[in-house]
Amino acid sequence: MRNDKVHDHVEPASDNLHVSGTIWTKGGYVDYPFVAMVLLIVFIGLIMVYSTSSYRGMDLFGDSTYFAKRQLIFALVAMAFAYMVSKMDYRIVAKYSGLILVISMILLILVYIIGTASHGSSRWLYIGPFGFQPSECAKVALIIYTAATCTVNTKSLNSIKGVAKIMFLPLIAIVLIAIENLSTAIICFAIVFIILFVASPKTWYFVVLAIIGVIGCVLFIAFAGYRADRIRIWLAPEKYPDGYQTMQSLYAIGSGGIFGRGLGNSIQKMGFIPESHNDMIFSVICEELGIFGAVCIIGLFIMFLKRCMVIAVNASDRLGGLLVSGVMAHIAVQLIINISVVTNTIPPTGVPLPFISYGGSSIVFILIEMGLIMSVARRMKFGR
Amino acid sequence: MKLYSFNRRRIFIVFLFILGVGLFLSGRLAYLMIYKAEHYSALADSLHERERSIKAPRGKIYDRNGNILADNRAVCSISVVHSQIEDEEAVISALVSHLEIDEEKVRKKVEKVSSREIIAVNVEKSLADEIRKLNISGIKVDEDYKRYYPYGSLASKVLGFTGADNQGIVGIEVSYDSVLSGTDGSINAVTDAKGIELVEFSESRINPIPGDDLVTSIDLNIQRYATQAALKVKEEKNANRVCIMIMNPQNGEIYAMADVPEYDLNNPFELNYDAEVTEDNQMDLLNNMWRNFNISDTYEPGSTCKIITLTTALETGAVTEANTFFCPGYKIVEDRRIRCHKTTGHGSEDLVHALMNSCNPAFMEIGERAGADALYEYYRKLGLFDKTGIDLPGEGSSIMHNLEDVGPVELATMSFGQSFQITPIQFITAISTVINGGNKITPHIGTGVIDSENNTITPLEYPLIENAIKEETSEKVRGMLEKVVSEGSGNKAAIPGYRIGGKTATSEKLPRGTGRYISSFIGFAPADNPQVIAIILIDEPEGVYYGGTIAAPVVKEVFENILPYLGIEPEETSEVSTDETGE
Repeated sequence: MRNDKVHDHVEPASDNLHVSGTIWTKGGYVDYPFVAMVLLIVFIGLIMVYSTSSYRGMDLFGDSTYFAKRQLIFALVAMAFAYMVSKMDYRIVAKYSGLILVISMILLILVYIIGTASHGSSRWLYIGPFGFQPSECAKVALIIYTAATCTVNTKSLNSIKGVAKIMFLPLIAIVLIAIENLSTAIICFAIVFIILFVASPKTWYFVVLAIIGVIGCVLFIAFAGYRADRIRIWLAPEKYPDGYQTMQSLYAIGSGGIFGRGLGNSIQKMGFIPESHNDMIFSVICEELGIFGAVCIIGLFIMFLKRCMVIAVNASDRLGGLLVSGVMAHIAVQLIINISVVTNTIPPTGVPLPFISYGGSSIVFILIEMGLIMSVARRMKFGR
Repeated sequence: MKLYSFNRRRIFIVFLFILGVGLFLSGRLAYLMIYKAEHYSALADSLHERERSIKAPRGKIYDRNGNILADNRAVCSISVVHSQIEDEEAVISALVSHLEIDEEKVRKKVEKVSSREIIAVNVEKSLADEIRKLNISGIKVDEDYKRYYPYGSLASKVLGFTGADNQGIVGIEVSYDSVLSGTDGSINAVTDAKGIELVEFSESRINPIPGDDLVTSIDLNIQRYATQAALKVKEEKNANRVCIMIMNPQNGEIYAMADVPEYDLNNPFELNYDAEVTEDNQMDLLNNMWRNFNISDTYEPGSTCKIITLTTALETGAVTEANTFFCPGYKIVEDRRIRCHKTTGHGSEDLVHALMNSCNPAFMEIGERAGADALYEYYRKLGLFDKTGIDLPGEGSSIMHNLEDVGPVELATMSFGQSFQITPIQFITAISTVINGGNKITPHIGTGVIDSENNTITPLEYPLIENAIKEETSEKVRGMLEKVVSEGSGNKAAIPGYRIGGKTATSEKLPRGTGRYISSFIGFAPADNPQVIAIILIDEPEGVYYGGTIAAPVVKEVFENILPYLGIEPEETSEVSTDETGE
């Protein structure tokens, strides 16, 4: 019933992104609860990176703060980016969404040609001394592109053909990512899927899309040999030597108990969990802070996501709502996958814990997304 | 372009979905961290903790007067932990210079990628401490204990020794292994993935529980006398071996058990004689050296066994002291003419003199009167068919005819101790029963266990069968055996002032006619109330081989030393005063 009503409200597509003036906005509302929560999570992340990396830093570089210092610098740079983006008018940024996505796709292709192999897959690009993962950039590009396209082509959302048209470029980008990094591709797909879900008045083809997505994943896993191994590890990590990391993670989580060993007292980080400051950081959080600390952090994320929801719902326009929904989807999906992997709820895959895991690309692009949300929040109208 | 309410609702649905998954994952965490916490933290602990065992000292072995017969010495084992080595050359040179071992061997072990390589064991503590002080990472010094026997070869065949893990190998070290061995403790230190101990985590320590001490019935001094006497006669007679056992016939406590040549308990793998040692025969030679003839080997008891024939006949009433016998120097049994050792014959003699003369034809007669059934019944009552149950490993069994195979010839020879074989321990136990008033005792070494934790002594109990034979029979036999020593064939065991009973034997080893004998004597004192019984076996003496001539004096010599020591005072007799005035 309601879906049919939508047609009445549709405005001429060409008008949608017609915003005049400069890209920089002045003043506006600052959503302090949101900013506070982001800063708190980033702060907790820095502490946990220090705690988890001090042993390794000492071992490799003779400096227990080696990784923590780097992460602090990344975080500060990322915050500067976030501030900058928050000052931009997202409506003008969205005008260039096609260009942004194409550039990020070129970067994705570039990474296969000149990328540096890390952990067996080529995922890194270097500009001078600064390396970054184009797939992280692609996530932001996909959020902006999908949100913008869904705002412009509202009508298309009513037909499969239209949706397919919207999905065309994002799907190419996702396939490009999937070649080397299935988990990031799944995250990207989930982001696009959720934005479409939020934007569309229809329900049924999301069911179809979801089924296609699941079948696609299953086929991919079945045909890609090393991913089939992961299923085997997932089912019985204790039986296989390559289930080592999963078992180590479970040891860490299981030995946390109610209140944990205390901050800084993890033993599993002493070389048992390889690179415990990266994807497996949540297991050390569990070990050190116990279920109490772990659930607190999950709760903090949920509160943060709820704030995202509030901003999305109260966004001054459709574009803003979809952008925030996309970012919210990104953070949520990555959080869920990370914790699921660490607890061996799903087959192992390398997904960083947003805001908290060590890594420059990850935190920079996530905080750029936070900037986008803040930019949307500036134009927020409460009470509609 | 605004956000429609259905868009808002969908955002809310997405959030609800996230919230649901978040709750599910929290539940999953709760399952892992509360329900499975014990499981995973135990696994994690076992992963983090490196257990270092703390060796428990083995219980000491005491003689009856509190002298330590087996003790522990603190030693150390030196090993290298590959992952902790920082400077291989420093490790190698330190080990080579301190331990005086081959550099090539050390280098091999140091360079080998393994969790732990043992370089040396049983290193003296002072030397190990020096190495420890060097504080070279990668070298581990662990304390251990090594068994130490202060008296060397003394009572070697009784005590036995222990192996590399301080486990008993032979002797009472084996039979009391569970008592003597302690429970190793451990230090559980938390380590990182490389196995380096993390000092910031407290280590849990389980203290070792030392093994319980064993108190034995062995008397260090008596054991020494006995061993010396045995060695002396072995040398004089150039014998194969000499066995002596000295026991309390009332309760079975063994004061001394020697089987010379003994071996060095502190070097038990070194042969105590020259022999061609090859890999094949090495273990046989060692086993032979460790073998305790007293309990493991059988022999024909010979004339000493006439005591049992006599006891049987007296018990069953087949003969009385009033009976007389005639010895022409032989006895015809079926188609066989079995000779007496005195070929001219003893002539007419009563029961006591038959024993004093150790007259074979008289005892064939006595055995015949008692009959095979009765003889076997008393063999059984006196334990010749069973192991004695002594608390030493490797006790042998007797070799007997089946009763239905015993014809007149077998009965005749058995009557004077031939054609069957028993172990010395079976024999001394049987004779103890005969002379102690008829109670069948269990010979034993261990008398008490001292608990290492509360220091209390638990006495060890052994089976005792009272009145296996009649008291009055025992008394009669004692009296006759006293006569054997005071006036008969055992007179070389007589000591002025003491009432000593005993019986000699000279048994020809099988095959007969090779001139190889076992000369033996069994004696006890005081004859009216025996407090000590001794048996000596001289295996293959050269020259004079009569038990009465060579074995009885040894027991005399031992008794002369130990009777006063045991508090058995000589009785005032005229001979003593004569001796005194004679000086």
